[in-house]
Formats: sequence, structure tokens, C-alpha cells
Amino acid sequence: MPWWYYDKKELKVTPSIKEGMDFETESQSRREGARFIIETGNKMVLGYNTMATGVVYFHRFYMVHSFYSFPKYLTACCALFLAGKVEETPKKAKDIIKLAELTLPPEEFAKFGEDPKEELLILERILLQSIKFDLQVDHPYAFLLKYAKCLRGAAGERQRMQDVLQMAWTFVNDSLCTTLSLQWEPEVIAVAMLYLAAKLKKYEVHTWAGRTANQTRWWEMFVNGVTLELLEDICHQVLDLYSQKRSGGGANSLPSTSTSASTSTSVTSNNNSASSENVSSTSKTAPQHAVVTESTEGLPPLPPNPILPAISNPLPNISTITSVYPPASIVTQPPPLFTAPPPPLPMTHVHDGNMFSIPPPFPGPMNPFNSFGQFGPPPFQ
Amino acid sequence: MQPMSSRSGIPAGRSNEIIRMPSGAFSSTREKDKYVEDFNFPFCDDASKYERVTKIGQGTFGEVFKARDRKNPKKYVAMKKVLMDNEKEGFPITALREIRILQLLKHVNVVNLIEICRSKGNANNRYKCTFYLIFDFCEHDLAGLLLNTTVKFSLGEIKKVMQQLLNGLYYIHSNKILHRDMKAANILITKNGILKLADFGLARAFSMAKNGQPNRYTNRVVTLWYRPPELLLGDRNYGPPVDLWGAGCIMAEMWTRCPIMQGNTEQQQLSFISHLCGSITPEVWPGVENLELFTKMELTANLKRKVKERLRPYVKDDAACDLLDKLLILDPSKRIDADSALNHDFFWLDPLPSDLSKMLGNHNQSMFEYLAPQRRPGGQRVHHHQAAVSSSAAKALMDTGYQDRVF
Repeated sequence: MPWWYYDKKELKVTPSIKEGMDFETESQSRREGARFIIETGNKMVLGYNTMATGVVYFHRFYMVHSFYSFPKYLTACCALFLAGKVEETPKKAKDIIKLAELTLPPEEFAKFGEDPKEELLILERILLQSIKFDLQVDHPYAFLLKYAKCLRGAAGERQRMQDVLQMAWTFVNDSLCTTLSLQWEPEVIAVAMLYLAAKLKKYEVHTWAGRTANQTRWWEMFVNGVTLELLEDICHQVLDLYSQKRSGGGANSLPSTSTSASTSTSVTSNNNSASSENVSSTSKTAPQHAVVTESTEGLPPLPPNPILPAISNPLPNISTITSVYPPASIVTQPPPLFTAPPPPLPMTHVHDGNMFSIPPPFPGPMNPFNSFGQFGPPPFQ
Repeated sequence: MQPMSSRSGIPAGRSNEIIRMPSGAFSSTREKDKYVEDFNFPFCDDASKYERVTKIGQGTFGEVFKARDRKNPKKYVAMKKVLMDNEKEGFPITALREIRILQLLKHVNVVNLIEICRSKGNANNRYKCTFYLIFDFCEHDLAGLLLNTTVKFSLGEIKKVMQQLLNGLYYIHSNKILHRDMKAANILITKNGILKLADFGLARAFSMAKNGQPNRYTNRVVTLWYRPPELLLGDRNYGPPVDLWGAGCIMAEMWTRCPIMQGNTEQQQLSFISHLCGSITPEVWPGVENLELFTKMELTANLKRKVKERLRPYVKDDAACDLLDKLLILDPSKRIDADSALNHDFFWLDPLPSDLSKMLGNHNQSMFEYLAPQRRPGGQRVHHHQAAVSSSAAKALMDTGYQDRVF
């Protein structure tokens, strides 16, 4: 079976880097590609699972090929095209191309060649081989919901947990722009983003549903062998996104909407605007935020004071998520947060001695969004 | 230049001679073609690692070949070609579904997908490669076995076939997958008597209708003779019972040796069903009047249900008749499910299900419906490969003791 997880050393010897690209440039290309997939997916009203699947295909593709060989935005279109089909929310190749032509700078779209649709279809074959036809990709979203359900605490705490969950959800969105999906399983990322959001929201988890005596930290219930250091490392990789020099993107960088201002405002108010100096030191990327002042070097260690996800989501229309859960721009159907049925137990049939356990259900009730798209099943060919 | 470690799964020392283009892309499509041609995809092997032996069938989206692993000549596989001609939207979504579903389903009674291979493209097809799904090879399919009158199933062996079939259905339904193309030709049986559900080309994941929004699946699935009444009446919110109707048709076929209802049109199929299972009315099937085609199809009134009566001459066993009666129920909500069927007395009364390997051991010919000389009525395939097969089949016989032509 292929192994889609890499350690940090391996991420520094990617095909692009072997051909002379520097690490920072590659990271930026990955960010831009991922962001383009999410923005294009949003415009086509695709579900977040489709967008996330596309982003993971994109990241995996560039572990096999180099950015010098394949232009990032064509690969991004192709990844979204394939993810659309795999997640049962297919979009026509020509519609994706059309949207790319509208949104990309002309010099970027020129790289799609003379017959962009044909290029996309040819690239699809290359993409499929590069990802070893590993079409099924799980994302942190479903795990977030499952974990939050266990951590919701007493009835009075539920609204606060909703806020934490909302923030963690946004962090998961943003984590797609990092290579975290190439480093850690979705369960681990979900735990880390929940940990980060809980820290920032000062939500302390004392007990949790299903706690056993040997568990000292809540995430031990969900993942094994995850240390505090590891969680903080993952959190920093996401937080680093917010300290990228946005101007550094140059013309290639897609403009990030500034609608996140309202998000951060609401976050701030929930946090009692604690310690604006500390806030500012980590939010240099959010010039629209009122408390931002000149930034200092680096990030403070977690968990000192709230670090605001000031650009909490580089997605467009993100202002709509301030009070709605889940992000309105991404889903239309609120997931059954606390009413989700428990994951099905492995079923067995013992006739003729064939015991079998069932792999994670597909799409299964654990994944309440992984429906056949919000628009009903696609027309069957 | 440091090779990636094995953790990444990329073999060290892979070809990495990539032309670096200043523009950030290939300057011509020719260059890209060349790159793809030369690139040694670490995760997708070349189909030439298998040597084709013979064509054994025609799947929903491509031909199927028997082939052998060149490195391990004793290892046989089935190669299913993914047809991609005239695909405006790239790799077919149906093939993606089949792959995703097969990657999920790992069970002794479901055909095993080994890997996906590609054939190298060449200048003629603009380096468009062909993809193949590689499966474990099974020696027979049930349709081929039933067509061969020298193959005789005892009651215990029929029970074993049905038990494995229902076990497979129970497993896929538990995983929220509908097969949607149950028929004897899609039931494979190894020489050791292990049954495998095959051809997930029409399969899809299903979910319960939610928020009062019924599902809208296509009802243009399932080979006509095995198609359940709800599909014939235009239901688009169906579920696992569609596969159990097919299981009922197949079970009856174990005794009749040919499909029990061979309609030529959907109307005729419905008529055959009514004559076997009784008139389709809201009394026996509440809600049927709401199905789209209920008023558009001609439904004969006042027909009595005669499932047991009509099958009795073939099926002497009481428990078998009773299970058939429960599988061939018009109302899908009343039709027995795989779990209950497995608990039916049929499987728990003497004779108990008995192993098939001994009986199959008497036959050293591979039996596939596709290879049978007489096509069934309604079969549309032209039997054009007879001559081509014989020499390779003789070769195969020497290797495995199994011949690919039958009768």
C-alpha cells in the first residue's frame, strides 16, 4: 500500500527542490495552488470534502512531480476536476477551465496551453497514476465533529464548545494550504486544530465522554502517542500561514479577501480582547485588524495568550461564518452536530466461520457531510 | 541529490531526468508527452508485467482478459480494460466509482482488486495510456457453470452458493454499497468453490433519504431479467432490496438452470413478474401507486401469487421454496434482507451447506458465460473469438489444468 505521509526531511527533498527550487518558493506554490482549489471550489458551490480531496491530490502530485514540469494552476484545476467526480459532485472540465480563465492572471492562464481542456484531460491520467489511484481521502472535518461531541461538556458549556469547534473548523480549512496533510493523519490534524482553538478560546477540557482512568489528556482517547510537542508543532505550521508576508506572493498570489475582519472581530470579543500586545505580535498578517501593531519576530510559544486567527480563513465570503456553524460559504446543510449517530460497530457474520471486520463505512454515518453532494446525486451515466 | 527514503514509497534511484523549463512548464506538448512516456510512475506498474492469455468477458465499461504474471507464471489474474474512448469528461466517473468501491471492499466473497496498471502510450495515440484493473483470477462464473449440464449441484452445494452470495451482499450492504447488477454472470466461483461478487461497474454508495429529501438514483440499472419491480416502475429512491431480488432470481436459477423471467421489454418483464408474484397493487405494496411509472405501465389485475407453486416442480426442498418466496416479494420494504436470509432455515436444516471444491474438482475446464458456445436468448454478444482462443487455451490447460474454452 502506498504511504502518503512524509517526515519533514523528506519534504525538503521534493522533486521541485531537487531541481533547484527553494523550500520557501515551493511552500508558496503549494499555498497558492491549494487556495486556488478552495476558491474555485467555492465559486462552483462544491462541498468542502470535494475541495479538501482536491487539495490533497494536489499536494501528493507534487511529491512525485516538480512545479517546474507542471504549472500549479493547471494541476489545481485537474485535482479539483478529479475530486469532483470522486466525491460525486462532478463539474464539467470546460466549466472549471472557464472559471480559471476568468480568475487567473493572463500570464498564468497562458500556461494552460492552446487547448486547455485537452491539457487538463491529459494531466488527469498523469494525476491518477501519480496518486496511485488512491481516490479515497479522509479529512479532519468528520473527526473534528466526532471529537467535539465527546468534549462538549456540561449543557452550559455547549455554546462555548460550538465556538471552539467553529474556530477549529476554520483552522482545518487553513491547514489545507500547508503540507500537514502530507505529514499527519486527519485524526491527528483534527486533534491539533481542536487543541489550538480550545487554547485560544480558553476552553479547558477537564473531562470527556468515555474517559478511562489511564487517560491524562483528552486527545489520548482519539489518537495514540501524540505528544504535546507534536501538537504544538502542528499548530505552529498552521499559525505560520498567518505570518506569511502577503506581499511576497507577488502577482501570482491570489488576492485574499479581507472579509475575515468581521470574523476576527467576533473572535476578539469572545476572547475579551485579552492582551493586545501579544495578539499583535502574532497577527502581523492582519492589517485590517484593529489591534495590529508592528510585529516582532517569531511566534510566542503556545499557550501564552490568545493568538487570534486574524486571517482566520483566506476563503472568500468568510464573513458569513461568524455566527453560523458550519461555515455557510462551504456547506448549506448544518451537520447534525450533537445528534450524529455513533459510528457503527464492526459487524460480523459467523456463518461458515468467515469473520470479517468492516472498514470505515463509506460514506457512513460518521461522515455526515459525505453525502452525494448537496444537490442530490449526479445524473448516472 | 538525495533519493527519497523508503517511507515515501518511492523507490530510490527512479528516473529523474526532467527538463527544466524556465517558464515553469513544458514548452510544447511533445515535450510533455515525452516526459510522461519516460517517467517511471512509482505507484502504477506497466500492464506488460502481465501476459494476456485470452479474453474472458465484457464488463460494463470494458473487455476482460485472463492474463498471467510474467514474474510468477503460476499466478493468474483478470485484467479489465477501462474504456476511455469518447470520454468528454476524462476518466469515467463509473470507473472511478468501481475503483473506489473495490478499494474499500475487502471480503472473501467480493472479488479482490490487486492493482491498477497502465499500458504505455505511443505516438499514435498521443501517449494516451490505457488503464487496466487487475483482479485475482476466478476460474468460473455461475452463468457458465449453470449452462454446462455436466455440472450438477447437490442441495448442500446450492446452499453453499447462496450462503456465500448472501454473505457477500450482507457485507457490501453493511458498507453502504449497492451492487445494482446482480446476475449469474457476475457471480464468480474459484476452483476451490469460493464465490466472489464481481463487476461493480454499476455499483454505488447509498444513503438513507435525509431531511425528507428522497434520493434520486438512476433506475436504469440491473440487467432486465434480474431487475426488481420497483426499478421497473421508476423508483429512484431504492436500496439494498434491489440486490436481493436479483439474489432470488439467481437462487431459482440454481434449479431451473436458466433465468426464470426473460423479458424482452420492461413491460414484458413486469408482466412476467406479475404472473409469478401476483398482481402489483397498493394492497400488497402500499405506496406503489406513487411510483412514477405505476400508471404508465400496463399492470394486469387479479393475478394470484404463485411463486412456490411455479417453482415447486424444480425446487423440491420446502425451506428453499420458502426462502425464494421471501426473496421474490414485490414490496421492497417487505423483501427479506441479507442478514435475515442468512438466518433462514434453508441454511440450518439438513443437508447443511457443503463445500463446492470437490464437485468442481471434477471439471478441469474454466466455465464463463462469455465463452459458452450457445449464447442465451437475448444475449447480444457475437461469439467472434472462438478460433483465436483455442491455441492459447490449450497452453493454459498445460499450466493450470484449466482450459479457458468450455463445452
